[in-house]
Amino acid sequence: MDLAQFPWLTVTTLLPITAALLIPFIPDQNGRTIRWYALTVGLIDFVLLVIGFCQGYDLQGSGLQMAESYTWVAQLDLRWSVGVDGLSMPLVLLTGFISTLAILASWPVTMKPRLFYFLMLAMYSGQLGVFVVQDMLLFFFMWELELIPVYLLLSIWGGKRRLYAATKFILYTAGGSLFILVAALAMAFYGDTVTFDMGALAAKDYPLNFQLFMYVAFLIAYGVKLPIIPLHTWLPDAHGEATAPVHMLLAGILLKMGGYALLRMNVGMLPEAHGVIAPLLVILGVVNIIYAALTSFAQRNLKRKIAYSSISHMGFVMIGLASFTNLGLSGAVLQMVSHGLIGASLFFLVGATYDRTHTLILSEMGGVGKKMPKIFAMFTTCSMASLALPGMSGFVAELMVFVGFATSDAYSFNFKLIMVILMAIGVILTPIYLLSMLREIFYGPENKELNEKEVLIDAEPREVFIIACLLVPIIGFGLYPKLLTQVYDATTLQLTDHLREKVLALNENGSIQPLAWLPLTAPALPRG
Amino acid sequence: MESIEAIYEYAWLVPVLPLVGAAIVGTGLVSYSQTTSTLRRPAAVFIVSLTGAAMVLSFLLFFSQFQGQEAYTRTIDWASAGDFHLTMGYTIDHLASLMLVIVTTVAFLVMVYTDGYMAHDPGYVRFYAYLSLFSSSMLGLVISPNLLQVYVFWELVGMCSYLLIGFWYERKGAADACQKAFVTNRVGDFGLLLGMLAIFWATGSFEFDVMGDRLTELVTTGSLNAGLVSIFAILVFLGPMAKSAQFPLHVWLPDAMEGPTPISALIHAATMVAAGVFLVARMFPVFEELETVMTVVAWTGAFTAFMGASIAITQNDIKKGLAYSTMSQLGYMVMAMGVGAYGAGLFHLMTHAYFKAMLFLGSGSVIHGMEGVVGHDPVLAQDMRLMGGLRKHMPITAITFLIGTLAICGIPPFAGFWSKDEILGSTFAVSPVLWGIGWLTAGITAFYMFRMYFSTFEGEFRGTDKTIQMQLKREQLMAMGASLGPGAMNPQELTLEESTHGDGHDDHHHSETPHESPFAMTFPLMALAVPSMLIGLVGTPFANYFEAFIHPPGEELSGLAESAEAFDWNEFLIMGGSSVGIGLIGITLAVMMYRTRVIDPAAIATRIKPFYQLSKNKWYIDDIYEVVFVQGSRKLAKQVLEIDVRIVDGIVNLAGFVTLVTGEGLKYLETGRAQFYALIVFGAVLGLVLLSGVT
Repeated sequence: MDLAQFPWLTVTTLLPITAALLIPFIPDQNGRTIRWYALTVGLIDFVLLVIGFCQGYDLQGSGLQMAESYTWVAQLDLRWSVGVDGLSMPLVLLTGFISTLAILASWPVTMKPRLFYFLMLAMYSGQLGVFVVQDMLLFFFMWELELIPVYLLLSIWGGKRRLYAATKFILYTAGGSLFILVAALAMAFYGDTVTFDMGALAAKDYPLNFQLFMYVAFLIAYGVKLPIIPLHTWLPDAHGEATAPVHMLLAGILLKMGGYALLRMNVGMLPEAHGVIAPLLVILGVVNIIYAALTSFAQRNLKRKIAYSSISHMGFVMIGLASFTNLGLSGAVLQMVSHGLIGASLFFLVGATYDRTHTLILSEMGGVGKKMPKIFAMFTTCSMASLALPGMSGFVAELMVFVGFATSDAYSFNFKLIMVILMAIGVILTPIYLLSMLREIFYGPENKELNEKEVLIDAEPREVFIIACLLVPIIGFGLYPKLLTQVYDATTLQLTDHLREKVLALNENGSIQPLAWLPLTAPALPRG
Repeated sequence: MESIEAIYEYAWLVPVLPLVGAAIVGTGLVSYSQTTSTLRRPAAVFIVSLTGAAMVLSFLLFFSQFQGQEAYTRTIDWASAGDFHLTMGYTIDHLASLMLVIVTTVAFLVMVYTDGYMAHDPGYVRFYAYLSLFSSSMLGLVISPNLLQVYVFWELVGMCSYLLIGFWYERKGAADACQKAFVTNRVGDFGLLLGMLAIFWATGSFEFDVMGDRLTELVTTGSLNAGLVSIFAILVFLGPMAKSAQFPLHVWLPDAMEGPTPISALIHAATMVAAGVFLVARMFPVFEELETVMTVVAWTGAFTAFMGASIAITQNDIKKGLAYSTMSQLGYMVMAMGVGAYGAGLFHLMTHAYFKAMLFLGSGSVIHGMEGVVGHDPVLAQDMRLMGGLRKHMPITAITFLIGTLAICGIPPFAGFWSKDEILGSTFAVSPVLWGIGWLTAGITAFYMFRMYFSTFEGEFRGTDKTIQMQLKREQLMAMGASLGPGAMNPQELTLEESTHGDGHDDHHHSETPHESPFAMTFPLMALAVPSMLIGLVGTPFANYFEAFIHPPGEELSGLAESAEAFDWNEFLIMGGSSVGIGLIGITLAVMMYRTRVIDPAAIATRIKPFYQLSKNKWYIDDIYEVVFVQGSRKLAKQVLEIDVRIVDGIVNLAGFVTLVTGEGLKYLETGRAQFYALIVFGAVLGLVLLSGVT
C-alpha cells in the first residue's frame, strides 16, 4: 500500500473516539486495564500522526496537504473534508502529544474510570478534529463536540465549585460559538456560490463592511477561547476547578483553538478587516499581558495564578497576529505551541503538588522544597521556561513577536514605541509572580504544620517522565527554533504576503477606516 | 597552521564542556538522586576536569590570539522567518580570548576551593552542577558574536545566579535575595531588550560593529535624531547597570551574599558582575560616538564607586563589606568606560577579578574557620565583631588576604595599583571632577579594606565572647522584626532562630579557636595571590602590553614602543603619587582606629551621626524601594485583582443571574444538561442547513 495515499488524518481523528466506544465492553475491576487501554490508544494515535507527518507532509508546501474529502450528506453538499497546512500541523502534533501525556497524567484518577477515559479519548478526537477539518460546518460541529467532554470532565471530577465553573464555561463558550455559526452561515451564503469549504470561503471577495461584521463575530467567539480580556473570566474558574489532566488539555490545547481559529479565519479569510482592526488586537494583547500578570501576582490560589499566567502569555499571540510581519506571525504560532507545552507542564506540576499538600493556597504552603527536591527542580525549570528564559521555547516565541512587531512597517513609530514598552513591562512582571510563587511554595524553613498533616513524598518516575517528555521539545525548540518553524514557515510566509497585498490594496482605495479615531493607529503599509 | 585553525574550529567546546558536565550530573540528580548524591568525589572530579579542559583550550586560544592570529567568527542560522534571519555562533578575538582565560581560571580555582568549603553540605553535588552550568553560560556570553546572543547568555547567567543565591533555600534570607537579584536584573534586561529592539529597528542588525557604523551614518545623514539614539544606548546601558550593580540597580548584589561563598567569589565578584563592563566594551562602537551616553556611563560609575565605598565603611558582615567594595570597584570600571578609557577599564576588570576572587575566597576561609567556633550560623560566623586575631590561627588565609587588601588599595607594585592608576589618569584628562571622586574613593577604599583586615586578622580573638554573640542575635531579631513589619512578623521564624541559636551553644561547640582551612581551600588562595601581586606588571604605563593587546575595535593598533614613548615620568609620578598618597592616608587612619586604637571609631560615629546612619542604612535605598516598588506593585496587583473579581466577573455573574431569574434558561441551568444544549445547537445547525438547501 502506498503510505502517502493512506487517509492519515481521517484515521487519526476518528481512532480515539471509535476506541472510546469500546470502553464499556472492556472487562475491568479496578480501572487499571482501562487506563492502559486509553494510554495505548493515545500513543498509537500519536505515533500514527507522527508517521503521517513524516510520510505525507511536505515542509516546503504552503498550501493544504494530506487533504481528503468525502461526500457525507450529498443533498446538503456536506463533506467530510480534512487537511493540514503549516498552521494546523504543529497544533495537530501538539494535540496528540499533550493528550497522550494527559492520559498518562490521569493515573491517580480513581473515580468512574470508564467514563473519565471515555471522555478523554472523545476530547482527543474533538481537538484533532478542530484542527484538521476544512469545512466550516464541520469545524463548528467539532468545536461544539469538544465542549461536551470538557463540561462533563469539569462538572464531575472538578473541585468544590465545579458546577459553577462548568456552567460558566459552557455558557461562555457556547455563547461565543453562536457567533461562529452566524458568521459561518453568512459567509457561506454570500455571493453566487454557497459553500462551506474553508478554501473557497477564503477565496471569496467580501466587501469591507461585511468583513468587519464577520471579523467582530469571530473575534468574540475566539476571544472567549483564547481568551481575550474581558472575555476571560470563565478561565480562572474552569482552571481553578479542573483536575490536573483536564487542566493540561485546557491550557495545552483548548486555548490554542482560539489562536488557531483567529489565524485561519480572521487573518486568513478576512484580511482587509484585519487590516482595520489589527491595532485594536495589539492593544488588547498588551492589556492581556499586563492585566493578567498583575492579577496573577495578587492571586493567592496556585491554580488561578497559573491560569492568569496563561492569559498573560496569550497576549503575545495576539500581538504577533497583528504585526503584519512574517516574523511576528511566526512568533505567534511558536508561542501557541510553546505555551501548549509549558502551560501543560506547569499545570501538571501544580496538580502533582496539590496531590501532596492538598491545598492550593500559597500561604499554607512553604518550605516543602526539602521534602520534594525533584518536584522543586522540575517546578523551577518549568517556571523558568514560562518566564521566557533563553534556551527554552518561550523565549524564542516572545523574542520573535517582539522583533517582528518592533520592525513592523504597518504601525507608526510612536504606537510601536508605547506598545513595545508596555509589552516589555510584562517581561518584568512575569518573573515577579512566578518566582514569588516558587518562593512561597518551596523556599523557607520547613513547614511543620504541613509536614504533620500531609505525607510529602517526592515525585515518582511517572511524573518525572511526563515532565521530561515536555521539556525535550521545550528545550529543543529553544535551542534550535528552526526545528519547529520550518514546519510552518512556508504557510506563514504565504499568509503574510496575502495579508499585506490585501491591506495595501485597501489603503490605496482609500476605503473607510473605522478605527482611525484612535490617535495612535496607523495601519499604513508603505508601498513596494 | 592547520592545528591553529583546528583550535578555532573547536572553540565552541569551551562553553559546551562545562554544559555537558552540568547536564550529565543534573540529569543524574533528578533521575537517580540517591546514587548521584553519594558519588560526591567522582562528580566533582568529573566537573572540575571538564572545566580544566576548557581552561587549557582557553589558554591555547589566548596564546594564538596573542601571537597575532586574526579574529575568528563562526555563525549558524538560528531562527528564520522568510528572508529574515537571526544568527548564533561564536567569535574569538582579543577581548573574548582574554575573558575566556579570566573566567576559566577563576572558575577552575573556585571549583577546587568548593571541594573544601562545601565538604559537609548535603547539596555538594548539586552545587557543582550549578557551578558548571554557570561557567558554561558565562563562557557562552563572552564569545557571543552579536548582541542578541549576549542577551541570551545574559539571562542564563542571571538564572544561574538566582539558583546559586537561593542554594540554601531553607533560609529565608536566601529565598528573598535570589528573587530580588532576578527581578532587579530583569528590570535592567527590560532596558536592554528595549534598547536592543530599538537599535535593531534602526539598523537592522545585532552585530556590534554594524550597529555602531549604521547608527553613526544615520545620525550624520540626519535621518535619525542623535537624542533618540542616545536614549536607545542608555536603554541598553540599563542592562549593564543591573548586572554590574550600578546605582540605582545595585540593591541586589549585597543581598546576593546569602549564597555560599564560592559563588560570591566567582559570580558576584569576578565574572558575572563584570559582564556589564564587558557588554559596555562590546557596545563601545555604539557608545563612543554618543557624548551624552558616555557622560551618563561615566557619572553612573563614579557615583556608584563612591557610594559603594561609603557604605562599605560601616559594614560588619565581612561578605557584605566585600560586596559593597565590589560594587565600588565595578563603578571604577564603568567610569573608565565612560571616559573612553577602554583598555584601562578592562585592565581593572582583569586585576579585580583575581584579587577580589581571592579576597572572597579568603573571607570564605575565615567563615569556615569561624564556623568551627560559633557554629553554622551566618549571623555569627560572618560578623567581624566576633573575629580578630585570626592571623595566628590561619596564617595562609591572613597573608593572602593582606595581599588582596594591598592590591585593592592600590599600593605598588600590586595589581590594583596599575589598573586603578591608569583609570584615574585617563579620567583626569577628561574630567577633573570625576577624577576627584575616584581619588577620594581610593582613600575610602584603603580605609575600609584595612579596617576589615585589622578587625579580622589582628588583635585579640573575640569569637567566644558570649555578650557580643547575644548582642548580634538581638540585632538580627530586631532587624527581622523591622523588615517584616510588626503585623507581618512570623512568630515561628523567630522562635526557630532562637532554637538554632541554642543548638549552636550546646552541640556545635567544636573548639575554642579557629583552624586553618584544608589544602583544597588554601591552594586556590595561594594560586590567586600570584596574579594579584604580579599581573599588574603587564600593564605598566612604560610597557603596556595589555593595552597593546586590548584596544577599542576600529582603533588603530598603537604599538608598544609608541605607548612607551608617550609615557611621561612626571605625569606618572604626580598621578600615581597622589593616588598612593590618599591610599596611605586611608591606611594610616585605619591603623590608628583599628590597630593601635588611638582614635575611637565609636566616638567619631556618634559625632557624625547622620552620615554614619546614612552609610549604615545603605543610603536608605532598600527602604525606599521597599515602599515604592515592592509594596506599590503589590497594591496595584491587588487592585487589579479586585477589579477583575468584582467588576469584570461581577458583570458576568450578574448577567447570568438575570437570565436565571427571567428566562427559561432556569431549567437548563439547574439540571446542567449539556446534552440538551448540544441537541439544540445541533438541531439549529441542521435546520439552517436544510433551510439553505431549500432556498
